[in-house]
Amino acid sequence: MKYVGKSIKRVDGIKKVTGSLKYVDDMKFSRMLYAAVKRSPYAHARIVSINIEKAMAVKGVKDIITGDHYKKRAGLYLEDKNFLAVGKARYKGEAVAAVAAVSEDIAKEAVKLIEVEYEELTAVTNAIEAMKPGAPLVHPDLGEYKTAPIFFPKPGTNISNHYPLRKGDVENAFEEAEVVIDNKFYVPHVHHVTIETHTAVAQMDLDGSCTVWASCQSPFAVRQALSEAFDIPLNKMRVLSPAVGGGFGSKAGTTLEGIIIPLAKRNPGRPIKLTYSREDEFENTYVRQGMHATIKTAVNKNGKIIGLKNEFVWDGGAYNEYGVNIAKAAGYACAGPYDIDNIWTDSYCVYTNHPVGGPYRGFGMSELQFGIEQNLDIVAEKIGISPIEIRLINGLKPGGATATGEIVKISGLMECIEQVVEDINFEEKTESSKPNKVRGKGIACGWKAPSMPNNAASSAIIKLNEDGTAHLLVSVQDIGQGSDTVMTQIAAEMLSISPEKITIKTGDTDHTPYEWQTVASRMTYSTGRAVVEACKDVIDQLLELSQIKLGLYKRDLELRDGYVVSKIYPDRKVAIGDLALGLTFEDGSGIHGPIIGRGSFIPPNIRDADKKTGLGEHPVAYWTYGAQGVEVEVDLDTGQTKVLKVASCFDVGKVMNPQLLEAQVEGAIVQGMGTALFEELILKDGVLLNPSFVDYKIPTADDMPEMVIKFVENPEENGPYGARGVAEVAMVPSAPAIANAIYDATGIRLRTIPLTAERIFEKMKVLKRGRRGSCKNN
Amino acid sequence: MNAFEYFAPTTLKEAIDILNEKGEEASILNGGTDLIVRMRDGISDPKYVVDIKKIKGMDDIRIENGRVFIGASALLNDLGNNQDIQKRYPFLSKAALSIGSKQVRNRATCIGNICNASPLAGMATPLLALNATVHVFGNYGEKDILLKDFFVFVRKTLLKHGEIVTGISFEEQACLGVFTKISRRRKVDLSTVCSTVVKKYDEYRISFGAVAPTPVRLNKTEAFLKGKMLSKDIIEKACELAMSEVSPISDIRASESYRRELVQVMLRNSLSQWY
Repeated sequence: MKYVGKSIKRVDGIKKVTGSLKYVDDMKFSRMLYAAVKRSPYAHARIVSINIEKAMAVKGVKDIITGDHYKKRAGLYLEDKNFLAVGKARYKGEAVAAVAAVSEDIAKEAVKLIEVEYEELTAVTNAIEAMKPGAPLVHPDLGEYKTAPIFFPKPGTNISNHYPLRKGDVENAFEEAEVVIDNKFYVPHVHHVTIETHTAVAQMDLDGSCTVWASCQSPFAVRQALSEAFDIPLNKMRVLSPAVGGGFGSKAGTTLEGIIIPLAKRNPGRPIKLTYSREDEFENTYVRQGMHATIKTAVNKNGKIIGLKNEFVWDGGAYNEYGVNIAKAAGYACAGPYDIDNIWTDSYCVYTNHPVGGPYRGFGMSELQFGIEQNLDIVAEKIGISPIEIRLINGLKPGGATATGEIVKISGLMECIEQVVEDINFEEKTESSKPNKVRGKGIACGWKAPSMPNNAASSAIIKLNEDGTAHLLVSVQDIGQGSDTVMTQIAAEMLSISPEKITIKTGDTDHTPYEWQTVASRMTYSTGRAVVEACKDVIDQLLELSQIKLGLYKRDLELRDGYVVSKIYPDRKVAIGDLALGLTFEDGSGIHGPIIGRGSFIPPNIRDADKKTGLGEHPVAYWTYGAQGVEVEVDLDTGQTKVLKVASCFDVGKVMNPQLLEAQVEGAIVQGMGTALFEELILKDGVLLNPSFVDYKIPTADDMPEMVIKFVENPEENGPYGARGVAEVAMVPSAPAIANAIYDATGIRLRTIPLTAERIFEKMKVLKRGRRGSCKNN
Repeated sequence: MNAFEYFAPTTLKEAIDILNEKGEEASILNGGTDLIVRMRDGISDPKYVVDIKKIKGMDDIRIENGRVFIGASALLNDLGNNQDIQKRYPFLSKAALSIGSKQVRNRATCIGNICNASPLAGMATPLLALNATVHVFGNYGEKDILLKDFFVFVRKTLLKHGEIVTGISFEEQACLGVFTKISRRRKVDLSTVCSTVVKKYDEYRISFGAVAPTPVRLNKTEAFLKGKMLSKDIIEKACELAMSEVSPISDIRASESYRRELVQVMLRNSLSQWY
């Protein structure tokens, strides 16, 4: 192949590197108004009254709205949120009023003058407590909320979704097991920390059409949500996403768009802009949910796990419209990439008065695997086998069955494990040259399926130009993952023209074709496949015209470097550009007209799991498997950890662009490392204590480990060229592998993250171990 | 951030006059890496901002008449990368380069870091251990304040409104020193605890940051060590004494007990270099 599988340079690279790419915040419009938001200082409070008089009197203030101005609820899977609080505020920072003014400074000044009287309510700040009978209710009206039929809220409680999975005979497995092990883990809330903050501009015209420019991952999903929330028909609702400076899930749904549309409606013709500050990002956008995991394992002494009993309690925060699906995803992934016959799992999404949980790279898998992979090491040590053995014994192989009972067709998990064991040199223990430092190695596996509706669809359009170049129209958003480049490569390969001859256009619901969402690591697979289909359509049209033009049968023609060429008589050919506007005959007449290719794709035969048992033969498009091995060095004096090396291997089906893929995995490892060592939204009584980079730390260049990145290629049946997604899962093993390596080095297992120096230090003290002793018996 | 009036005087006299005329609502702007952040966060709200960077001769780093002088507008990167400082006082250079990011150090000044008087001020511990003197200019002329007396409390110094620090200096001295900074993340982070230990013959000067309301010298520990030959036993005793001499607090960056433990770890590792 000429273009697929090659390290083609990013097609969006020059604009991004030179700074000429225009992001939403760069956009200026005449008569634009700027919005600012009044936010609740309480985690849970009834709004008694809002007085906007003084704020309205500020010169330059054009309009102020509160929740009373627009009471219709919205939400992706569960309609539980208002864009501006109605009646009560459910988290600290929730929007209660919004100002539109002629400048940002004036808008912010006016916000200060809005007077809100609150009656503080008891805040629900622990998801496990929140599930107990008698806990204060975050959403007393839960029973009235509209929900998608695959989610199961429990009215009268704080439970927004319960996903049960019942497979085999768990009681019997635990009775028969030679060893039973109980473990608990907790993963705190963390943040995506995209380099570009959330930003949007909305404009309402007097003809009833609404245009929104937003830094968003999913223009069509945003269009759908806003159309429903604000009763604007889809043909009058246009969402553009010109460029996105990082998403990681945080820009998947709707956040600030819903605050400015009501203002735009009241001020027709005037664009209204809202850009979040970094502090807003931490407090007022989606966060990764906290999760309490209980994992009980029934295992035989030969290392075979025969039973599993899990409870996952997700701290979904104040609104669970998106989080309910994360609890579901964790439910059907509950055993990890392991073949276990008897499973009992309850996965709950729970309302609290914490920041709003939502999608974050991994969609629950990082939180889940953090516990599962450490649990495996604990089980292995207990029965006296190595971390590698327990994974080889229980890991999913072709012919095995996932938690839902789906029979595995393709799994390169064993190859991935073997590769990282070799690359990290797992069996060989190395020593630090410093006497106060110890080293250790750890391994963890990861898996993930796209968490999406069964019928999540993609489409693509290709327009051929008369000089043999082409425009490719899709609505996958390049949020840094490189989709613009990979889609271009696929079209270039299919049409046999160089990538420079293709211009890709994305992100405009009026002009680019439907795409469900840019999430779920499904773009190369799903949109890529739509691009393949669109190219086939173009090729078919080209060959139809060529057989007339060349007098050769279609079957014997192919595309080669910008020409339709005879496979038998290579000198008989016609340039595709000459056919772009149709075929012209010698007398000047023409047929067919411009060539436009159309491609659509829905993954075939994905069916709902059984509502009562959670079991299903094919509930997801595919699973992506992989593993990572890590070497760390821990300073015994201070507890500080340095990740020295990470070896990674995933079964991606087909490496579409080696350089981009390696970069994707490097980023994932570092993001996983950040959550393992530094990152945590520190919440006290519902108040976020570290809403800035001063106290929320992500890794710097200085923290980079050596990274060895490899891939296995077992082709995916329906993916383009056999490719499947890997964007999210690549960070899933990083944190548990680091935790396992720290245990190997020090004998310390914290069962929570981040594994800060202080936490490790305190544990070392508690264990009262000698400077180089061992305490590996937990 | 609210609107403010900006002044850029070119002489000290002019600067002092503006400060005195405008009163307490005027703030001195040097590198701005503390002030501007505080203004954005609404913690400081000056009506008048007096930029002292345009005053001539204030960005000097020079060694003359047996003293090392660091001017008020000398940048942290300039101090950290100064070859004389690197050669003779590498721990001072290391401290300068440990603060913020390279971009921040291209704006931030050593004196600003001192005048900001954070308990964890990165420049405070090496300069305390070097027995530095702060040079102050007021409408009375010049005066000197010993750095050890300069810090009064969290973000409070002896500096009065209408006074400007023109620089800081210390006596040229042959000494060894170790600067240590423990932070949650190795680069671009605030100190969880920071310290400098200076050895001059058998005299030890020990200073710590983030273990008290101001950066402090550990006088009792210093007195205990004075004149002693370092041994494992002596070092351990010094570490115990040091732990009892500090009074850290718990905050979201670290607990009181972890900070206290770090004091002995850092002191032990510093002293062990000469043992």
